[in-house]
Amino acid sequence: MAQSSNPVTPAQAEHVALITGASRGLGFTVAEFLARQRWTLILTARHEVPLLEAVKRLQATGASIRALPGDVSQDQHRRDLVATVRRVGRLNLLINNASELGASPFPALVDYPLDALRRVFEVNVLSPLALIHLCLPVLRKSRGLVVNITSDASRGGYPGWGGYGSSKAALDLLSKTLANELREAGVGVVAVDPGDLRTQMHQDAFPGQDISDRPLPEVTLPFWAWLEGQDPLRVSGQRFEAQGTVWEVPA
Amino acid sequence: MKRQELLFEQPRTLFASTPVEAEHGARDAVRLLVTTPSGHQHATFADLPRFLSAGDLLVANESATLAASLEARGPSGSYTLDLSTRYAEGLWLAEPRWDPAHPGPMPIESGEEARVGDATVRYVAPYPGIPRLWFITADRPLEPILQRAGVPIHYGYVQQVWPLDAYQSLFSRVPGSAEMPSAARPITSKIREALEAAGVRFTSVLLHSGVSSLEIETDQVEEQAVYPEPFEVSSATADLVNRTRDGGHRVIAIGTTVVRALESTWTPDGVRPRQGFTRLFVHPGNPVRSVDGLLTGFHDPVTSHLAMLAALIGLPRVMEAYREAIANGYRWHEFGDSHLILRK
Repeated sequence: MAQSSNPVTPAQAEHVALITGASRGLGFTVAEFLARQRWTLILTARHEVPLLEAVKRLQATGASIRALPGDVSQDQHRRDLVATVRRVGRLNLLINNASELGASPFPALVDYPLDALRRVFEVNVLSPLALIHLCLPVLRKSRGLVVNITSDASRGGYPGWGGYGSSKAALDLLSKTLANELREAGVGVVAVDPGDLRTQMHQDAFPGQDISDRPLPEVTLPFWAWLEGQDPLRVSGQRFEAQGTVWEVPA
Repeated sequence: MKRQELLFEQPRTLFASTPVEAEHGARDAVRLLVTTPSGHQHATFADLPRFLSAGDLLVANESATLAASLEARGPSGSYTLDLSTRYAEGLWLAEPRWDPAHPGPMPIESGEEARVGDATVRYVAPYPGIPRLWFITADRPLEPILQRAGVPIHYGYVQQVWPLDAYQSLFSRVPGSAEMPSAARPITSKIREALEAAGVRFTSVLLHSGVSSLEIETDQVEEQAVYPEPFEVSSATADLVNRTRDGGHRVIAIGTTVVRALESTWTPDGVRPRQGFTRLFVHPGNPVRSVDGLLTGFHDPVTSHLAMLAALIGLPRVMEAYREAIANGYRWHEFGDSHLILRK
């Protein structure tokens, strides 16, 4: 029986994802889950060494991985990423996961340094939108799905979380509006709140606290598996909680 | 709730291994234990109409059973691969087992491959918190392979594999369940007609059941990871459920799958039409609000199903019913006897 050790099927070979903030935490976990399904991945993260280490681990799955270290708030870096996407020629999934927590320890909004807040909005709101702008032609061609990673802080009003939270609230509304605007183009847009996770980012938000009671990012894998099976336009405009009770498809 | 609270002594002699119709000709020849606030009554299933009233609404699950058990060949030799839930094209949650009687866990590693029919499947990742279940990806759709080579999922207490028909009910319409939603199994057309003549109404929801209820492993029942199942409650069904409740009549779920589906649609204004995947775990900390009763089978110790019964009528009453069932030789599992639980 002829049997290749790395069978690549046409259906799977066509799946391509671009993930930001992919070197660790949630971004890496989702990347690994897709790589094990032989998705082609284009990854970015700010720091080169952890990103290259992540790529090495992901390549062991046999998937095709391209990685570009850089800051998603830099226009040139975004153009380089999208040039890679264009060379691949498809984009089924764009996951805007890279996020900026802001000033630490979290200041109250009345004390928030505006430069730090500007950086939060730059990374969490403007950069995802700019990537969507640049990816739109290939997203349209692939009838792809944009996933913007949000947070319960976008609705909470928790003291100290006003900078990060308001940027995620802006991202939520941006997701919902884009969903309506891009429906005709065949592109879906959803916001996904992964819930509390045991990640470096969550630790940074709670410096010095024990966060070992939070689940690892793997807890969200069933949600990503489910999302893979959804028609992007059926779910477009929804805001999902990956650890929530029901993942609802609108009627 | 502590897991030990859901423990009871279960004689294995009470496991039903044969569909009742194979021995007695009719599916409604099973026994029926009826648990109400005033106690427990012994009856046969054909007596069901006696315990229901005009205006009551029975809600069935219209999910049909798949022949979801396949033979796989991999590095550990030949083994059983039970498909649980379809997530996407070629992406399933599955349970690899040494064989129907031996659950594993098998020494599977991420990236490992196996041949299943003419497909190659690859193990992607274990289910978080339930390591015996794996996400698998297949290089071609598995549905045609199920049709050609699949058999119904079965376990050690069933001596032979029965034809797929034995695993369907009067209400089975949409294929998708890994394991039979078995509560409706004893309902024959004759019983259905008798109930309808008595003014009892029927409606249905859809919930594709995954592989068998897990034994709860965490010390605290509520902390057990449970996996989601696809469900759909239509607006016609939601309407009927709400009007039945508003009219002071009872809504009775046929099976725990129906409770999970209806509870997943509950709002302070009643149930609403909804579809998707539900991860809802109905336990005493998550009380049942959408139904007044449940027609079901008998469930194993320390399972999530038992926690659901406790959410419906309280643990002491459940344990009392089970003592009654064991003392009177009621039979367990998908081909076993029935239990009607009414809370009013």
